[in-house]
Amino acid sequence: MQPLLKVQALSKTFNMRAGIFSRKKFDVLKNISFSIGKGETIAIIGETGSGKSTLAKLLVGAYSADSGQILLENNTIENNGNRDAQCRYIRMIFQDSATSLNPAVTIAEMLDDCLKFNTDFDKTQRSEKIGSTLLKVGLLVDHQQYYPHMFSVGQLQRVALARALILDPKVVVLDEALSSLDPSVRAQIVNLLLKLQLETGLTYILITHHLSLVRHISDQLVVLNKGEIVEYGATETIFQNPQSKVTQRLLSC
Amino acid sequence: MQLLDIRNLTIELQTSETAIRAVDRVSFSLKEGEVHALVGESGSGKSLIAKAIVGVLNERWVITADRMHWRGVDLMRLTPEQRRKTVSQDIAMIYQDPSRCLDPTAKIFNQIAETLPEVAAKGFFLKRNRERKDRVKALIHKVGIKNHEAVLDSYPHELSEGVCQKVMIAMAIARTPKLLIADEPTTALESTTRAQVFRLLKSLNQLKNMSILMISHELEEIVNWSHGIHVLYCGQMVEAGPTHRIFSQPRHPYTQALLKSLPDYEHGLAHKEPFYALKGTIPTLQHLPIGCRLGPRCPQAQKECVVAPKLSKHHGHSYACHFPLIKDIK
Repeated sequence: MQPLLKVQALSKTFNMRAGIFSRKKFDVLKNISFSIGKGETIAIIGETGSGKSTLAKLLVGAYSADSGQILLENNTIENNGNRDAQCRYIRMIFQDSATSLNPAVTIAEMLDDCLKFNTDFDKTQRSEKIGSTLLKVGLLVDHQQYYPHMFSVGQLQRVALARALILDPKVVVLDEALSSLDPSVRAQIVNLLLKLQLETGLTYILITHHLSLVRHISDQLVVLNKGEIVEYGATETIFQNPQSKVTQRLLSC
Repeated sequence: MQLLDIRNLTIELQTSETAIRAVDRVSFSLKEGEVHALVGESGSGKSLIAKAIVGVLNERWVITADRMHWRGVDLMRLTPEQRRKTVSQDIAMIYQDPSRCLDPTAKIFNQIAETLPEVAAKGFFLKRNRERKDRVKALIHKVGIKNHEAVLDSYPHELSEGVCQKVMIAMAIARTPKLLIADEPTTALESTTRAQVFRLLKSLNQLKNMSILMISHELEEIVNWSHGIHVLYCGQMVEAGPTHRIFSQPRHPYTQALLKSLPDYEHGLAHKEPFYALKGTIPTLQHLPIGCRLGPRCPQAQKECVVAPKLSKHHGHSYACHFPLIKDIK
């Protein structure tokens, strides 16, 4: 099967301050390659500082890579740091939806902006799309006029999901999006994600440290340590038979 | 020996219109050397109970209790000065957000040194200073920080969340308290650091016989080492009892829902199959339903549920439900 998203030899280096004038280089990601098919979920686990969040930001285009390519359906969208300006196919949900939504605009305005900048829909098409997306994530059309503070945490996560889905993306990156939720709310959101994947063939990149959840919903697993992939393969095989020391330590606790 | 004994603790928030009852008649007791867990979702009043025990809630909260005994002394009847003394001697609390609870303007060393008890300070100030330094160093080693010099000489924002959490624990155990209240100590941490923190707390419990009241919304974190679990929903205690019995035979629909939302414990759930989840969301404090507060979301709710159910007790396992999942034979 042709992979949907292919990442080849991605590297990223940050310049850090070492003294007053001197700077030192810090390799956050070294030579990362993996690929995912349509409708699959890949989980990325690792300790803090292993470069998980940097990888997520590289994938959505918030950072540009130093070298390496990202291919989406065989189209190169990032080549050695040159990014295709399109942001509609890979979208991201952040950890804390309460602080990542603008408190001063209504949900309708926020979703409308996404459509205005990325599509050439006219006004009626836009409002139709907003309504249908809200219904898709389990909210009501009337929720358009609400401000973010009027929602509960679980509903906010649904709004964040609506903002990601409104451009009909192919890949959604979930950066710790499920770990701050309460168990029963998390079960609801996970169910919603699984349902959407089944219906529309979405691909998820799940970054989390919740291991039982990883085991339940992901097909493939990438274990990062200090910017390098130490293990990459099918989730169940790695869980049953972890090869490297780092993975064994991560999974044992 | 009974350390903490709380009966019908009610915490209300005074607003301009009405009083909102955030915690509704919660009772529990804690023996010496035991680890108990308060489990519930956000907004269920877990942190409020902890803060009420320590006495750090401000004046807008009205706290009433039939009794709140700490080793036989009723905390509610003490003067604020006496209460502060008792609490600061015997109870310590780890707060929820470590990097936000540490003082951003002071270095870690000064913050830890401040919490050291002022006993046995002998000799001149140089000697006392040296002793203080040694004790801070010993504390920070005990919680598992190896590079003490770099950590002690930095401000909270320069450290990672995990290190901040360990510093908070070091501050909490500086006075070797009898009871440690840990309010979601591991929410911000990843799995390896979380395991370290749990190992540390566990060893404190076993070696120093320190009682621990864990507050958490993750059941799986506490199952292996807590003696008792109290499940809260919207400020009401729905089920309480020994850990293994709660896990093997939950009586309350809410406890069952919590257990079923864990992928580990729901055997026979296929890969990517949807979880069991209660419908709806947790009601806000302004719009609490009458009677059993789970009522509108409960799959088994019936007419009787508009009256708040009484706590029924059966072999140390108590639950508040009109229609428990397992009926007791009397």
